[in-house]
Amino acid sequence: MSARKIERPSRRLFLRGLLGGAAVAVGLPIFEMMLNGNGDAFADGEDIPTRFGLWFFGNGVHLPTWTPPTVGPDWTVPEDFGLAPLLPYKEYVSVISGLSVMTPRHPHHSGMSAVCSGGPHLKIDDVRDTIVSTMKYPSIDQVAAQYFQSLAPNPYKSLEVAVTRFRGTDEGTSFQHLSHNGSKSGETNVNPSEESPHAFFDRLFNKGAGSPQVDRARGSVLDAVSGQIKTLQGRLGAKDKQRLEQHLTSISEIESRLNLPIGECNKPDDPGVFPDLASNEQIAEKNKAVSDLVALALSCGLTRSFSIQYSTCGSGAVFWMVGATDGQHYMNHTEPAPYTKQKDAVRFTMGQLAYFLDRLKNTPDATGNLLDHSSIFVCTEHTEGWTHAQDDLPMLLCGKGGGRLRGNVHYRQEGGSASRALMTALRGAGLPLTEFGYEEAHTKERIAELETA
Amino acid sequence: MRQAFAPLLCALVGLASCVGMIGDSGDERAAAAAFAPAEPTLHRLTRPQIQNAWLDLFGKPLTMPADLPVDDVLYGFSSISAARSTIAPVDAEKYENATYALLDQIFADPARRDALVGCPVTAVGEPCVKDFVASFTTRAWRRPVSEEEVTSLHVLSAKVATDLEDEAQGLKFALAAVLLSPHFLFRVEVGEPGDEGYRYTGWEMASRLSFLLLDAPPDDTLREAARRGELATAEGVQAQASRLLDDPRARVTLTRFFRDFMNIGKLDALDKQPDKFPQLSATLGPSMRIEMERMFENNVFEKEGDFRDMFTTRDTYVNEDLARVYGIEGITGPEWTPVTLPDDGRRAGILTTPGFLALNAHKTQTSPTHRGRFVRLNMFCQDIPPPPPGINTTLPEAEPGKPTTLRQRLDEHRTNPECAGCHEQMDPIGFAFEKYDAIGVYRETDENGLTVDSTTVVDGHPVAGPIDMAELAASLPEVGACIARRFYEHAGAHLAGKGDKNSVEELVADFVASDYRFKDLVLGLVTNDGYRYASKPSQEVKP
Repeated sequence: MSARKIERPSRRLFLRGLLGGAAVAVGLPIFEMMLNGNGDAFADGEDIPTRFGLWFFGNGVHLPTWTPPTVGPDWTVPEDFGLAPLLPYKEYVSVISGLSVMTPRHPHHSGMSAVCSGGPHLKIDDVRDTIVSTMKYPSIDQVAAQYFQSLAPNPYKSLEVAVTRFRGTDEGTSFQHLSHNGSKSGETNVNPSEESPHAFFDRLFNKGAGSPQVDRARGSVLDAVSGQIKTLQGRLGAKDKQRLEQHLTSISEIESRLNLPIGECNKPDDPGVFPDLASNEQIAEKNKAVSDLVALALSCGLTRSFSIQYSTCGSGAVFWMVGATDGQHYMNHTEPAPYTKQKDAVRFTMGQLAYFLDRLKNTPDATGNLLDHSSIFVCTEHTEGWTHAQDDLPMLLCGKGGGRLRGNVHYRQEGGSASRALMTALRGAGLPLTEFGYEEAHTKERIAELETA
Repeated sequence: MRQAFAPLLCALVGLASCVGMIGDSGDERAAAAAFAPAEPTLHRLTRPQIQNAWLDLFGKPLTMPADLPVDDVLYGFSSISAARSTIAPVDAEKYENATYALLDQIFADPARRDALVGCPVTAVGEPCVKDFVASFTTRAWRRPVSEEEVTSLHVLSAKVATDLEDEAQGLKFALAAVLLSPHFLFRVEVGEPGDEGYRYTGWEMASRLSFLLLDAPPDDTLREAARRGELATAEGVQAQASRLLDDPRARVTLTRFFRDFMNIGKLDALDKQPDKFPQLSATLGPSMRIEMERMFENNVFEKEGDFRDMFTTRDTYVNEDLARVYGIEGITGPEWTPVTLPDDGRRAGILTTPGFLALNAHKTQTSPTHRGRFVRLNMFCQDIPPPPPGINTTLPEAEPGKPTTLRQRLDEHRTNPECAGCHEQMDPIGFAFEKYDAIGVYRETDENGLTVDSTTVVDGHPVAGPIDMAELAASLPEVGACIARRFYEHAGAHLAGKGDKNSVEELVADFVASDYRFKDLVLGLVTNDGYRYASKPSQEVKP
């Protein structure tokens, strides 16, 4: 894709995006965060768009074989550590350790919302103790997406894709989905991840081109539907109004795509389906297919914001390749110390992340590669699965963020707010944030050590 | 539920009582709760519902679009999730693709198209075509449509017909606007003021009934009843519900409730270690589910029996998959054979089905905790909070050379006071089922050759083993009450809260009075005030 000059966004457009879209659930905090005192703190124009990604893996790590022994530039780890597969890419990878969940804690729930959204989880309904929750605030892939759309529309505001088969529990949306639009009143507003590489391929690359007349007809239908939604909203209670607001946004996203030239993509091969082999999920093969498709989608400008749900919060994916016979969540609650299988499973998982980073690094993008122009936040909902601990959270920040991020630093702050990492990741993608996070998790401290300037 | 142990445990662990009755916290018990039904809401059609709605409009043959949004589950039910969820961008895309794929099937065949419309589609402005659009929309939106709504569809069809220079295409795109409408994709409920309070309209009631009982839109008779205002009375609703219960589709739909209630849809992806279980086959998981569903159908529709028999009956259905697990010889192939299992103390009812036992176990090992938790949560409607953060949940390891049973290890786990409070509520129930391995095969010894002990004490009741536990479950009033509550929650698509308290109690009383006949539970539900009445939609946003 040719370099696209990103215009300085208009405040009006951004505000309209927030009010007209799903982010209305957020209210104005994000908007306010992005303004300095003069109300004009938006990003400077940039030549090459920086992409933002959220890459999530569930159930934490094995801390003694995760954290690099030294703090500061040029981190390294012994070969059996979880991060070892990332060593060849470490110029592009910074490790963040020591940060904590600041919001009221609950196993899995609070960590998931804290590391993905920078806010507390929203417990929905008050009639059961067995908690069911959703994210109260949007996950940061959506914060970035909203911002990018305010600069210049992309064919897809964001893309969501999953690697391992969904095996979360029935404890609310954050156990099933990664990308959330936030929820004011307990409605569950998610962006489901596509779990089938074949369907993801179909959606992005296997479209017949519609004639202008047919596109116009589709547009007229979507207009009519939007009108119906708005009329209906007038008769509904607040909660349903809110739910239809998302429907309206979804319709307008399709509609806006009708008028947008889709980037020039070389259609890849259909990755096909990945049936289990001898009851073993083909995780590496699926990861490869998903990574390839996301890299291509980014490279041809289909979107600037994406999320990859490698495994769900509290995931039951079975890492059979390291000898696991039970789902990871159960394994974490039963495997005795020294937790060899969990250790190996995390190392395997980082190997899958390494494949994705490798793809980005080997995809040319303007003068550099995609990884040069990305900020990818890697996180998990707690420290270790057997304690549900939410201090010393494992986090990575990958990519050079269009020159904003240094890479190859191990930053550690014991007890700091997890939101600092999220804010820095978003800043790495060009979001002009000087504060981020909500309620107890709000922070004004970026992690300057990970930034170039 | 006997709470006799609870104070003792509290003293022991210094925590609030682990188990509480759902929707029954202390302060609620103190104050008599006022009747406050749920607000009306939008119910997004679930996958089976939208497919049935399309079939209702187009008839067969119809190739169903494969790539549809997946139904999430909330509190065990897709119905509850459907009353909460929105339509994400990717879902809207999937609906759009599916809608055009369906319409293209109809419009690719002019004879079929004209048969649907009722006349040759030569011009979208012709009265016959216009009438069709109005009647199609009325059916699709499950209510009368306004003149304004129809007019805007005519405008759309004329505009597209001109632009594409194709009259039939004009009609096709107008129908797309009907099918992509929130009035089609959601079951819209707003309610209206009535003499006795705010309630669902007749048209809304027709859809409530029909989707609850058939997962399909109202048929002509039901629509006629709505039109005549017959659904404003409990009698009118009951008469229609009785009729719908005789529709063969009601079996499928109510069985789907049971599937959600028991969470056995998950058996279709049964995940067990093949080298540990020679009985495994690719079809075993679905077979386990079908066995349990057949038991339900048999109880509800064939025997019209006491629902509590589901816990004690030895009558079931087996195919080759199940026969291997049960150790029954001479049954081959996928066909189902009704059998009465021997009275040997090994099996009785749904809690000893391989499906229940396998679902609430791990890939290789059993899980007394999961089995007990399921019973507490889903059969007793009690609640167990998750472990507090920061607690190490790993089971102690067996000492080398000194193998221990899982039960012994769990017993040790419960000496940790932080774990004991809740595990004391779950594990003892699960111990009753330790004589079944992780896929439900009966065993006297575990994988280490150690003898399995399935005697236990549950809420003060000594339990000699699985059959005793099943009989205890059948005898506890909490269990019947729980099923009624869960059906109420599924039907209304919300958790029963304070304002539903009286309605749930009434429904439970109806269920008890009918000797626990499930069909009477259904009829009790549809005439229950909590189902027929609503609170006026609020303009306030409260979490």
